[in-house]
Amino acid sequence: MKQVGNKNEAFSLKTRLKRLKRDSNRWSVFTLAIVFFLALPIIFIGVELFSGPGETWSHIVRYLLPEYIGNSLYLVFLCSILVLILGVSSAWLVSRFNFPLRQQMEWLLILPLAIPSYIVGYAYAGIFDYGGSMNLLFRQLNLDFIRIDIMNRAGLAFVLSISLFPYVYVSARAFFLNQANNLLEASKMLGVGEGKTFFRLMLPLARPAIVAGLVLVLMEVLNDYGAASYYGVNTFTTGIFRSWFSLEEPETAVYLSALLILIIFALILFEKWQVRKVKFSSSKTNSTQIQRKRPKKSMQWLIFSVVFLPVFLGFVLPVTQLIYWAVLTASTVFDMQFLIISLQSFGIAITSAIITVFFALLLIYFSKWSTLLSIKNIARVGVLGYAIPGAVIAIGIMIPTLALDKWLIKMFGNFGIDSGLIINGTLIALLYAYAVRFLAVAYNPIESTALKVDSSIPDSSKVLGVGNLKTFFKIEFPLIKTGVFSAVILVFIDVMKELPLTLILKPYHIDTLAVKAFEYASDEMVMEASIPSLFIIFTAMIPVIFLNKLLIKK
Amino acid sequence: MLTIDSLSKSFDKGKNYALEDVTFDLKAGHVCAIVGESGSGKTTLVRLIAGLERPDHGSISLGDKVIASLDKFVQPEKRKIGLVFQEYALFPHLTILDNVLYGISKLKNKKERAQEMLDLVGLSNMGKRYPHQLSGGQQQRVALARALAPKPSLLILDEPFSNLDAMLRTQLRNEVFDIIKKTEVTVLFVTHDTQDALSVADEILILQNGKVVQKDAAANLYVKPNTLYVASLFGSTIHINKNLQTAFSCPLKESCCHAIRNEKIKVNPSANDPHCEYITRAEVVKKVELGDSTQLLLKLESGEQLSVMTQDKNVADTINIGFNSKDILEFDHE
Repeated sequence: MKQVGNKNEAFSLKTRLKRLKRDSNRWSVFTLAIVFFLALPIIFIGVELFSGPGETWSHIVRYLLPEYIGNSLYLVFLCSILVLILGVSSAWLVSRFNFPLRQQMEWLLILPLAIPSYIVGYAYAGIFDYGGSMNLLFRQLNLDFIRIDIMNRAGLAFVLSISLFPYVYVSARAFFLNQANNLLEASKMLGVGEGKTFFRLMLPLARPAIVAGLVLVLMEVLNDYGAASYYGVNTFTTGIFRSWFSLEEPETAVYLSALLILIIFALILFEKWQVRKVKFSSSKTNSTQIQRKRPKKSMQWLIFSVVFLPVFLGFVLPVTQLIYWAVLTASTVFDMQFLIISLQSFGIAITSAIITVFFALLLIYFSKWSTLLSIKNIARVGVLGYAIPGAVIAIGIMIPTLALDKWLIKMFGNFGIDSGLIINGTLIALLYAYAVRFLAVAYNPIESTALKVDSSIPDSSKVLGVGNLKTFFKIEFPLIKTGVFSAVILVFIDVMKELPLTLILKPYHIDTLAVKAFEYASDEMVMEASIPSLFIIFTAMIPVIFLNKLLIKK
Repeated sequence: MLTIDSLSKSFDKGKNYALEDVTFDLKAGHVCAIVGESGSGKTTLVRLIAGLERPDHGSISLGDKVIASLDKFVQPEKRKIGLVFQEYALFPHLTILDNVLYGISKLKNKKERAQEMLDLVGLSNMGKRYPHQLSGGQQQRVALARALAPKPSLLILDEPFSNLDAMLRTQLRNEVFDIIKKTEVTVLFVTHDTQDALSVADEILILQNGKVVQKDAAANLYVKPNTLYVASLFGSTIHINKNLQTAFSCPLKESCCHAIRNEKIKVNPSANDPHCEYITRAEVVKKVELGDSTQLLLKLESGEQLSVMTQDKNVADTINIGFNSKDILEFDHE
């Protein structure tokens, strides 16, 4: 009977409290502190909701909100369809068939990710402009009765899709490459044809992977400010900007942000639900590579054209347009100031990449060293920033830092010191915001390499008498170096491309290439925007290729 | 030396217990094997002792010092316990010598000590190599040298031979324990293989579903197993249930559970064999030739099936089988 006593006792409140006291260590506290720090902007938006909406809120609800919701849903819907068609078809064709330049296509299909959507938007606006190349072409062909207007929400959906479909492509291809082969062979042995195998077997099985890629696309769609504002489409994000900058009503921006967060959470729940429904798909990676079919020559060229089309539309065409503009405007844009902006952009991106990776490392290892089980789940909350649109994070940081600065100025004022704004409108707020927004970008590659290190390795270091920190520096860090390095690069690219958050939080005397491109475009100087745009694209391109190498290795 | 008192651990807040109310102690200088199937809690037990997990109840003491209880937890790095992992866990980016040096960096004559350890495990010239350049058996010995270098008071080996094939296994087992005997360290040795345990351990602890079913000297476990489960771990065993009792006409105590080892069942005993009290007739259903012996699948008149081994190559279709009352194993419960 003693055993029963032990059992009841082991999880009685008294023993639980004793264990909580025994097991809470400083790492638990540090983890909680970091998560709180990263969640602060969102918490502030929640808190600010209680101070009531602004004066124009009822006006917005009546006249603008239906448009915001309508346009955002329209974009979400149309982009979903487009990116699914582009991403899944290219992933399937590239992994299932042999055709000319297949290997090159594999990574070329990722390149559209190197161009921020708003820049693709500028390029297409130019291509379909009255004096643009498309109209010239139509005139040459005596088809000048055709007039395509792209500056509307359908055009915006096209632009966003063509630049974001690689998210779906990458995750679908990873599934097709790693998991599909034995199923494919089984299907073949059962005498099932190619088409039926794809629609009845591959598509349903790949659904969790595809949905994961799709949700990333939709988060980016809702995050977009640059393209939507240039195309004159009112979305939630442009609404937040308008209420912040034009109406100068932070309360309204907060309310819109909260609504947008709700939509995002609905998306995340949708993903979780989709993934849970398909739990039967095996998580074991298959070591055998997918066998590629070699169809007839004419068929091969058809497949090539289908796969090349998104690369052409998403990369070749916009980049060509930008290069053409760059040649025309090079003499006016290149100057000392442009060089300084490039350097600033670079410096900010690399600094924030290092800070963000540092936070990711702290979060991963502190929560590991914390012996409370619940802490490990809480740590994941710190990663949610990636789902939150940049504009929302910016608002969530702007409001508290303004209040803090006011208080600091008053405090310093008591001592006769004029401190000015310390946090708000300085790099500190901007770097903080980047860390919140891009933590997941750093966290995921580091975590996945850290998981590959068998837990017995750090364990044996500890048993040999070496503590957590020293074990990290001597054993774990050398083993996860590549993951840390790729994390730095990934965050670096994202910061280079980032626009909405930077626009709201940047110090007034500092510019980034993204902001400069946006300013040119908004000042009716879209041609001049081409040079900063190309700079962003080329810095982002090299790591995108590198990232693909990494994906192949996996 | 090592004292474990009513130790419990659950990974799902008390719904299931990986370890439940485990109590035992280990004398200094002894080699104790922990035997159990996978999932019996062996690894959880050694991780608790090493400090890699925290107990939900109970305590662990090393010498006269409590190292884990509800109020106290000594970090693994402060316990001075040596642990050799199942997968060796050598640091892949460090040389063999650096691996061995790792735990003794504060020692004055660390270089000498590390070399001494490499000599001990017979890898004197391998110090500059990296783990991936070594064979599995060599890696195993490096892991042993690394664990022994800081002179631990207790050495734990977690399934050290399970990654090796049968031939290498026996050879390496002997080598490893020859080395260990030279150091006179106290050893806890986790295995699912009773042969491993019987050949090297002074005493054996049997775990089943997170509970200790028996702890005894190796010889006693064979002769006096506590439960049918323990008996069957050390050789195949037949449960003498009610039907068998009727078939052999051997009435046994009802409150107890009885069993007989397969090897104790005699095939075609002579009619007046004094060592064969209970006899019954059986039909041979199937013969399986196993080289020097034959396995017989038998069907008794009552319909019960059982299998026995025999050296006799020419058995008839119907035979007599029997056993001695002295060979019957008696347990309080199954």
